[in-house]
Amino acid sequence: MKYPVYTLVLLTLILTGLNFRQPGPITAPAGKLRLVFHHQVGKDPLALGTLCRNGLGDRITIERFKYYVSHFTFTDSKGRQWKPDPQYFLIDEEIPDSKIITIQVQDIDIRQIGFLLGVDSAKNVSGIQTGALDPLKGMFWTWNSGYIMAKMEGTAERSPSPGHRFTYHIGGFRFGMNTAREIRLTIPQTSQPVREVHIAADIDRWFNGSWQIDLAETPVCHSPGVLAMRFADNYQNMFSIQSVH
Amino acid sequence: MRITKNTWVLLLILLAGAGWVAGDSAYFRPKPIAFKVPKGWPRPVYDFSKNPLTEEGFALGKKLFYDGRLSKDGSFSCGTCHQQFGAFNTYDHSLSHGFNNAFTTRNAPGLFNLAWQKDFMWDGGINHLDLQPLAPITAENEMAETLENVITKLKADKEYRKLFKAAFGDETINTQRIGKALSQFMLQLVSSNSKYDKVKRGEASFILPEQLGYQIFLQKCASCHTEPLFTDYSYRNIGLKMDDVLKDPGRMRITNRSEDSLKFKVPSLRNVAMTFPYGHDGRFFSLMSVFEHYRKNMVVSATTDPLFRNKLALSNYEIGQLTAFLYTLTDSSFLKDPRFAAPGANNNTKPPIDIHR
Repeated sequence: MKYPVYTLVLLTLILTGLNFRQPGPITAPAGKLRLVFHHQVGKDPLALGTLCRNGLGDRITIERFKYYVSHFTFTDSKGRQWKPDPQYFLIDEEIPDSKIITIQVQDIDIRQIGFLLGVDSAKNVSGIQTGALDPLKGMFWTWNSGYIMAKMEGTAERSPSPGHRFTYHIGGFRFGMNTAREIRLTIPQTSQPVREVHIAADIDRWFNGSWQIDLAETPVCHSPGVLAMRFADNYQNMFSIQSVH
Repeated sequence: MRITKNTWVLLLILLAGAGWVAGDSAYFRPKPIAFKVPKGWPRPVYDFSKNPLTEEGFALGKKLFYDGRLSKDGSFSCGTCHQQFGAFNTYDHSLSHGFNNAFTTRNAPGLFNLAWQKDFMWDGGINHLDLQPLAPITAENEMAETLENVITKLKADKEYRKLFKAAFGDETINTQRIGKALSQFMLQLVSSNSKYDKVKRGEASFILPEQLGYQIFLQKCASCHTEPLFTDYSYRNIGLKMDDVLKDPGRMRITNRSEDSLKFKVPSLRNVAMTFPYGHDGRFFSLMSVFEHYRKNMVVSATTDPLFRNKLALSNYEIGQLTAFLYTLTDSSFLKDPRFAAPGANNNTKPPIDIHR
């Protein structure tokens, strides 16, 4: 090579140019907590498209079941609380991977898990979101802006609507119609640091909880309002801790 | 072939350049556009900090606005039902035509001065301008398309990938960016150059009927059609009988409150001469029939605005003067502004003609 200086200068330029494409360093996570959601109808695991019987004795087939969870808070044995950066997850029975979520947590013992079932009102009024909150996920009302916090669809023999269908799209974020619900779950005593929590969601509670909701009377809920609030009061109590690892 | 030293040097320069080009997201610098608030107007409600206006964003928004691919069969763009010569309403149509020979359920309003509007649709159901296009795109009787399909179609087009990169820094195409780009176009549809505005700026003066009409307007209309936007963006029942086919409850559909029954958004009167037919379902084909409604045909019910307990008294003389004034709200430079024109439309490059000169 007759022009080593040229070559060196140009090589430096090439490398600096390429360097600008490198992402910044990723800091090592403090710890990971896996949350695994299990959907049930009473005691039995939910199987989409399969006939089952709900707690009120109705023969139903569930075809869709999904809901948002967000705003996790964790409390340790000394009562200290911390909140990871807000993240939104769409838990969808149809997509098994969506039922396992991983959250970066501080490496301490967890005694209580809190989260919001639904999407906070701020995200309902600030335009189009991305990721799990993208309106194309089918969990957003375009005619009456706002998220569907939870959705259940299926068929029931006693449903009087076409095809004996029932469709429950539960949403509404305005004062008095807010269907997002704070959930608190206490972890049973355990000496080990918590790495994995299995959470059960019982669909029966949608029909039979604070309110009894008769499929034959109200097979459809498609807008914010009194009925949506009753479903929300009901699904607020659908979660329980199944096991901790 | 002998490779010379110069060729080597050139090759290396090219390589060096390639490294910089590939890393160009750090050098993403779209050309900003300053949003001008006309003198005396309130502050816009749109949060520009979340979606800064740029030349590139506007260009992308305009292409999307006029692209039929946003609809299921490719034949309906936003611009199909929002036509510039009608101040972006559907000109001369009570209801617009959608996919599969469907009618819309409401009259397509003109689109302008949207940066000042908080809620959208006649019932105010949509709470952000970015979200507004999602409703017509996905409605079965309008553009009837899914957001997934729209994104798939756009992603397949090299031109769009380029435009999204120019506007947002990379080629990602998602719902949010489509909404933001469309907003960039719609936000710049500012209509503030009517004869009325020129009179206010001291550049023109009303002729007598216009001046008299303005006085009557201030006395009888301005409490709802408030200057300078000519609406207070409230929802009111002006005594329109419910259509027995559409059965449209208006604002009540959104709030679930019976006191909001048959209330609809107060529309702006800017460009009113061009935005016929009038009313949420386009039932009035002329200004005259609107006046007749206010003075004679109104159906006063429990939720009718208290202002109209005794309807609205208007003499033939007042209607004549009011009409003269309302025509001064036509902003012909806006109606012909080539920046907003459909691509390929016969927009001569001459400056817009103002019929009031």
